[in-house]
Amino acid sequence: MSMPAIEVVLYTGAIGLSVIGLAGLLLHNNVFRMLLALVMLEAGVNLLLILAGFRLAGVAPIILPEQMHNLSAITMNDPVPQALVLTAIVIGVGVQALGLALIMRIKAQYGTLNMLKIREQLEFDLAVQAEVSTPVSAHSPGSLAQGRVRRHVSEAITQKDEQ
Amino acid sequence: MDNIVLLVVLPLLAAFLMPVLARFSEVVARVLGLSVLVFAIAIIINVWPQVNSQATSIAIGGFMPPIGISFYVDQVSILFALAIPVMVLLFWPWQRKTSIREYSLMMLLTASSSGLVLSGDLFNIYVFYELLAVASYSLIAVQGRAVSIAASFRYLLMGSVGSVMMLLGIAIIYTQTGTLNLAHLSLLAPLHLDNMAGLAAFALILVGMGVKAELFPVNNWVPEVYGSVSSNLAALMAGLLSKLAVIVVVRIMVLLFPQPEAMQLMAMLGILGVITGELVAWRARDFVRMLSFSSIGQLGLIFLAFSIPGDTGMMAGIALALHHMVVKPALFMLATGWSGSLENLSGVARRSPLTVLLFVLLILSLLGIPPLPGFWAKYLLMVGLAGQDSAVYTLGMIAVPLAMIVEIAYLFRLVMIMYRKEDTVKVKAHSKWGLAIAASAGAALIAIVLQLQPAGDKLTTLAQQLSDRNYYIMTVFPQFHTAETGMQSIK
Repeated sequence: MSMPAIEVVLYTGAIGLSVIGLAGLLLHNNVFRMLLALVMLEAGVNLLLILAGFRLAGVAPIILPEQMHNLSAITMNDPVPQALVLTAIVIGVGVQALGLALIMRIKAQYGTLNMLKIREQLEFDLAVQAEVSTPVSAHSPGSLAQGRVRRHVSEAITQKDEQ
Repeated sequence: MDNIVLLVVLPLLAAFLMPVLARFSEVVARVLGLSVLVFAIAIIINVWPQVNSQATSIAIGGFMPPIGISFYVDQVSILFALAIPVMVLLFWPWQRKTSIREYSLMMLLTASSSGLVLSGDLFNIYVFYELLAVASYSLIAVQGRAVSIAASFRYLLMGSVGSVMMLLGIAIIYTQTGTLNLAHLSLLAPLHLDNMAGLAAFALILVGMGVKAELFPVNNWVPEVYGSVSSNLAALMAGLLSKLAVIVVVRIMVLLFPQPEAMQLMAMLGILGVITGELVAWRARDFVRMLSFSSIGQLGLIFLAFSIPGDTGMMAGIALALHHMVVKPALFMLATGWSGSLENLSGVARRSPLTVLLFVLLILSLLGIPPLPGFWAKYLLMVGLAGQDSAVYTLGMIAVPLAMIVEIAYLFRLVMIMYRKEDTVKVKAHSKWGLAIAASAGAALIAIVLQLQPAGDKLTTLAQQLSDRNYYIMTVFPQFHTAETGMQSIK
């Protein structure tokens, strides 16, 4: 069974969009770009879901009275995936809005949009809060400057004690 | 029986009414939320005897499945549905005054998690899962600390990728079968899902739901989030929300994916979770982080137990899940006073000997020392593992005791610190409410030891109901007398 050319294009587009989104999430460090990559990933998966119910030359699934006698002759698109995607899009928009709001707060607090720096600062803040002088748990190699974090934490704790 | 639906409807209504009501009177808004929770508990107690005798399926709006969306109520789902309002009431932010938004989000959390355990429709599960995710991201963010915003965003990124994975899994299942009702899918599964596409769909759903359930590769968020929120919320998330995700994954696996590869995949991820969680917990230097990683390890054990085919595995899984649901929140409540470096706890046993004794009781049960309930749960797990001859379960038999040794090492190290002679205690006082919860958890453990026989019987029934496909199908489609006639008519 060979797929019609148009379906190959559509499926390639949907899968390609998801792959671009996933790659963007993994490769970028800017949190805003990561969120945009997430939007693309969701769009790709939604498109894939639409294609699951799509029939080439299909019509909208509305049965008119004059069609009642020869229903099997009509090709209709499956309406269920479309309803699902509508829900998924709404949920996606909500989550993205929440993400953007959080990004604004992060920018205001940490002054950066770089994920590595945010993470470093987060680990640092948690370590200060817990009053541990070494970085808790051996970090993944991704952590930039363990030594720096360690020094900062001990300084911060000394300052806290002095106060 | 139909008023089970109110468990989802009323908290959802309250969640959106409360901010509006709060403009006129904040007290009324809060009382509304609390009374909805109490009412939910009353509804469940009311239907409890009925559900105990016979599971039911509720067709929402009178549209019968497989066209309509149904709720499935059996002993397992009603038990977890009861745990939701009870635990939300226990871990309600009583101790501090917060904005009405936090209360409203707690109600949203209640509504979505009740929907998650009760729903009998795959896409409905996805929607409730997303609602639960949004409620928990926001609850983390409104905690008010600087770190909680960053932790919430990092959790949001991981959670959203997980949800997309799950949606992709659902899309694959829909293309293979053309339905979303779990019972209908279960009828079609042997024909259409016992292949590579089905396995891929299961892997995607497992990883997607696994984000909430602290599954091995997607649990990066755990220490950050638990470290940056109040212990009440950490207790609720570690104790309740992770278990709900596990139960839903198990239900989907039992009904849709009976192939051994699916179970072995889950077992493998569980083993990796146990090993990594416990090893990192051993290196942790502060109390909350130690508890977070230990909870990753425990969730790994639960996944491993549920992946064992047969009733023993199911029993072990439910026992471990319920046990963790009691013990871990209690430990997090003890963390309210003991947060911070483990060294700060040096000599704390002299100041508050009873609290330390309670802590020792809880961790002994967590480790699985007889005769405490944790021992029986782990015993069932080992018996289940021993009954299997696949390589991955043998690996599990090696990994579980090794992880236990690591667990003993770090927990007893902490107990040694607590019983030191020198007194450098820098701890704060526990809140009375938190201590009361921890104490009642300890009392519950002892009560189970004394009532081992009835508890075991209940566990057996729960395990049978959770693992019985035919029972589920025939409850939703009573017109089919056996699963076989159902298969015939579907074809």
